[in-house]
Amino acid sequence: MIRITGLSVSYGAVQALRDVSFDAPSGSVTAVIGANGAGKTTLLRSISGMVRPVAGEIDLDGTRLLGKRTEDIARLGVGHVPEGRGVIEEFTVEENLRLGALHGKQRLQAGLADQFDLFPVLGQRRRQHAGTLSGGERQMLAMARALIARPSVLLLDEPSLGLAPIVTADLMRTIKELCHDRELTVILVEQDAMSALRVAERAVVLHVGRVAADDRSEVIAGDEKLRHYYLGMAE
Amino acid sequence: MDAFLTSRAVSDLLAGLVSGVVIGLVALSLVLIWRSTHILNFAQGAMAMFAAYVGMTQLSHRLDLGAFTLQLNYWWCLVIAILAGLAIGGVTERVLVRPLYGKPEINPIVVMVGFLATLEALAGAIWGTTTLSVPTPFSFVDWQLHGQPLALSPNDVFRIVATFVVAVLIAVLFRFTNIGLQLRASAVAPEVSRLLGVRVGRMLTLGWILASGVGAVAAVIQATSFSTGLTPSIMEAPFAIAFIAAAVGGLESPTGALVAGIAFGIMQQFVSDYLNSNYVLLIALGVLILVLMIRPQGLFSKRVVRRV
Amino acid sequence: MTPVFAVIDFRRAHPVLVRALLTLLFTCLALFLTYFFDPLTNYNLATGAAMAIVILGLSFLTGASGQVSLGNGAFMGIGAYAAAIWAVHHTTTPLVGTLALATLVGAAVGFLIGLPATRLRGPYLAGMTIAFALAFEPLVSIFSSWTNGDAPIQTPLLTPPGWLASLVHAPTSSLTTTNMWLADISIVVTGVAFFFMANLFRSRTGRAMRLVRENEVAAELAGVSLPRARVVAFMVSAAFAGLGGGLTTLVQGSVQSSTFNLGLSITILSLLVIGGIGTLSGALLGGLIFAYSQNWITWIEGKTGISSTSNLGGNLKGIIFGLALILVMLLAPLGIAGSIRFVILRQFKKHPLTRPSQSSTPQ
Repeated sequence: MIRITGLSVSYGAVQALRDVSFDAPSGSVTAVIGANGAGKTTLLRSISGMVRPVAGEIDLDGTRLLGKRTEDIARLGVGHVPEGRGVIEEFTVEENLRLGALHGKQRLQAGLADQFDLFPVLGQRRRQHAGTLSGGERQMLAMARALIARPSVLLLDEPSLGLAPIVTADLMRTIKELCHDRELTVILVEQDAMSALRVAERAVVLHVGRVAADDRSEVIAGDEKLRHYYLGMAE
Repeated sequence: MDAFLTSRAVSDLLAGLVSGVVIGLVALSLVLIWRSTHILNFAQGAMAMFAAYVGMTQLSHRLDLGAFTLQLNYWWCLVIAILAGLAIGGVTERVLVRPLYGKPEINPIVVMVGFLATLEALAGAIWGTTTLSVPTPFSFVDWQLHGQPLALSPNDVFRIVATFVVAVLIAVLFRFTNIGLQLRASAVAPEVSRLLGVRVGRMLTLGWILASGVGAVAAVIQATSFSTGLTPSIMEAPFAIAFIAAAVGGLESPTGALVAGIAFGIMQQFVSDYLNSNYVLLIALGVLILVLMIRPQGLFSKRVVRRV
Repeated sequence: MTPVFAVIDFRRAHPVLVRALLTLLFTCLALFLTYFFDPLTNYNLATGAAMAIVILGLSFLTGASGQVSLGNGAFMGIGAYAAAIWAVHHTTTPLVGTLALATLVGAAVGFLIGLPATRLRGPYLAGMTIAFALAFEPLVSIFSSWTNGDAPIQTPLLTPPGWLASLVHAPTSSLTTTNMWLADISIVVTGVAFFFMANLFRSRTGRAMRLVRENEVAAELAGVSLPRARVVAFMVSAAFAGLGGGLTTLVQGSVQSSTFNLGLSITILSLLVIGGIGTLSGALLGGLIFAYSQNWITWIEGKTGISSTSNLGGNLKGIIFGLALILVMLLAPLGIAGSIRFVILRQFKKHPLTRPSQSSTPQ
């Protein structure tokens, strides 16, 4: 489980996060939703150690993550699929996966078999350069690359970005299954609040860097005021 | 056939190949550093020279290792030079280059130029500026083809073979090993690599270490001929041409740099023979300007230079 | 405090006039001092002044437009040779004419080199200028019919005017008179050069350059032609280098291609960095250091017992300059003058009325 307490992050004079606290339990998907600029990406970057907070604590099953370097946090089992996927275009699909498996907990061949099982398309395209993949395929590659290391935590930053609704729905279903099968702690940051709420058990709503709501997703989805003010959604 | 092989043109081609492999190695090492840290190491030649000195000055010394004594011959000195190169590369990256990440572009340029001047002066101070002759491990006498000299000697072949061995080793390292994968990843996508657990900082240092090792080999090879020996300024000219070759080849491509370096070496030979050695640098400069005006990213590079 | 503000207001209203007055003041002061200096000091002053001009040129290129060039030693050599060749064949041309020629030739070559330079970024440009610096000596050899090849060209010595001789109560041929004359000329030329640069730096052209350096995209959007700005920067720095080179020839009375090697370009860069990029006083400081560096090294050798003919002694200059370049860049990238200025300005900024105006960047 990931426990966040009193997290505050500033970029110079701009405060991106103020006193954010919530728990993301393992074996479940926690959605982090809110308007653009609410601080969702900053939150994930803080967990991964890419951004230094000015205050607060981030714990992974009791281990303090704050102050550790990004690569060390990754080696502790935190898989982060960044905004834009971060697929290395010059590498082949297989090389991308190899890179992900290097510091993971399973052997390469087993890991590859695993991921090709999950995402057959990747198996078909294993020798292709990642730059030739479509948006949806890149998302799968980025996730497979994170998963091949057998992480205990999965941070997903806007996986639905630029993807068709059908692809997104597929993706979300896969995320949910993985989460339950492997007891993962999944923190799902999404612009598309509805699809996130459908797959997540809990949801945290961020508004201008603060936690506006932290509850079960049905409650959040049902609250019209919330949906209107914080998520900018109509009926 | 014999007449062809001993003809002037072929002789120049062979001689150019022999001198070009050094240029190619230096160009290769420049690209290795550029790809990993986006710095053009102006001190590359000087660092290589220094490593070569450390190695080659140990010639004929005896190393007492308790159980037996080791007579240091050329091969051992080459090893020492390579080790010195590795060390110099690593130390330079940590001490001089690390503090400069994120600073304006001019800073590393100036620091490396200063390093170049310091190393050359330091080498002169420690070992003197008179040429240190380096005995060749193989005969430097050209082979004869039915009485006519072929512009190739066993030593020449050694130089060419050594270069290709190094190039192949580097290529194998990068393409087929996990370390190579991490090195490449750290160069093109450092943030993503970190998210995957790669110790990017160490990879950058490793890039410098490897590049300097390659450079050391180049400097030793350059000094290993009967006509030249080791001097502090020995790598000045090869570096200038190697830089031009690397830039022409496109700083992203190690193979391109190696090939361009050899090509320039051949050009150098032809120009020196048919014209005048004074024209070499001018022609190289001209080629550089021409290529970069037509194709600013270099001949072999796949990346496109951002133009506003 | 009112007079201070009056001065500041005046300064803002008539900048060129103020600069002219300041230049005149410093120049006259320096000229006055040459009367009292011994011949050796005057000679050092002359060489230092020439070098200061070259450094100033590089300062403009690097400080104003952010490009690194290691070719200014070669530009200096070009100016030096232009002056030498002309002076040898046309002994009646006045001093000003010869120097003007050196400057123009420098500018012309700067234009030629600047053209391809517009296409190159940072390290590529620096590398190209290194190649240019290394190509200088071969170039001189190729044109040996004009340049005497590797051998030096002796130029006719400058004879001081009669009135100066009577001023110092010494014959015109004496070292006292000659060196004082050399120093005086150099000071005047330097004054003119610095005055020109001070105005250029503040002018529209200068501000455009600095915009290019800070943010190319913004500059282009503001209508600045990037290639044109870069070529102009090159031309200006080459012109200054040529002028410095021409002056050096006249002061030393001879010119030789081996002087203008890559080492010289590196020395110029070192002096610029140590003095302070982008500052006028930094360039002057650099020139001074250049003039006295040999003295200081000899002093160091004396104190530490290092022989000047030993391996260490012969290379001490290189080691010191190289290390200075590294250390200054790592620890105090603003250089001596730049750092001092930074500290002073920080004090000024605290008092609202003495804050520098928005349109100009601090000198």
